[in-house]
Amino acid sequence: MVKFLKPNKAVILLQGRYAGRKGVIVKAFDDGTRDRAYGHCLVAGIKKYPSKVIRKDSAKKTAKKSRVKPFVKLVNYQHLMPTRYTLDVDLKEVVTPDVLTSKDKKVTALKETKKRFEERFKTGKNRWFFTKLRF
Amino acid sequence: MSGKYTLGYKTVIDTLRTSKGKLIIISNNCPPLRKSEIEYYAMLAKVGVHHYNGNNVDLGTACGKYFRVSCLSIIDAGDSDIIKSLPGDQ
Repeated sequence: MVKFLKPNKAVILLQGRYAGRKGVIVKAFDDGTRDRAYGHCLVAGIKKYPSKVIRKDSAKKTAKKSRVKPFVKLVNYQHLMPTRYTLDVDLKEVVTPDVLTSKDKKVTALKETKKRFEERFKTGKNRWFFTKLRF
Repeated sequence: MSGKYTLGYKTVIDTLRTSKGKLIIISNNCPPLRKSEIEYYAMLAKVGVHHYNGNNVDLGTACGKYFRVSCLSIIDAGDSDIIKSLPGDQ
């Protein structure tokens, strides 16, 4: 009875090119829009997970290993598996539905998302989110 | 007579997502992966799950249907007090 498909919810994509990837809901459209008459949401997720960083890595190596490649996508609720985790990264202004209209807007949004994901990864919080789901 | 429900896995997950479901009933021969998935969604939605003591054939018969029902979702209790009585005794 509690709505759980809310912004900042961590989800796993089930279908499509990004199946098996983790993402976070940025904006939810429960009743759909005119173009998409079904419940869907804007998801910002990880296209390429950061590699495992070990203690004896040099600073250059840690920087290289901590890189995150993000994606932004509008996904049907049916193609998501919600989890009990949340990721409170503030992506509301960066990732908006009109980002997906033009290539340049998308590129700038992805750059900003990449930055925010990487700094969150470096703090060591939300470790579950940045580990690859093994299946 | 009163009250609303939906039958079937797909609609059960839908009602959980849109937070319309009030109680979920699962038959005992529901495949374990599907059962866990429904229970997980219900945990997120804070909705009670009742494991019916019978298989999907029995649950279908109990619903008055001539087909098998593995899982069903109660949207609106109507005059019945199943929602108050059931999660209480679990």
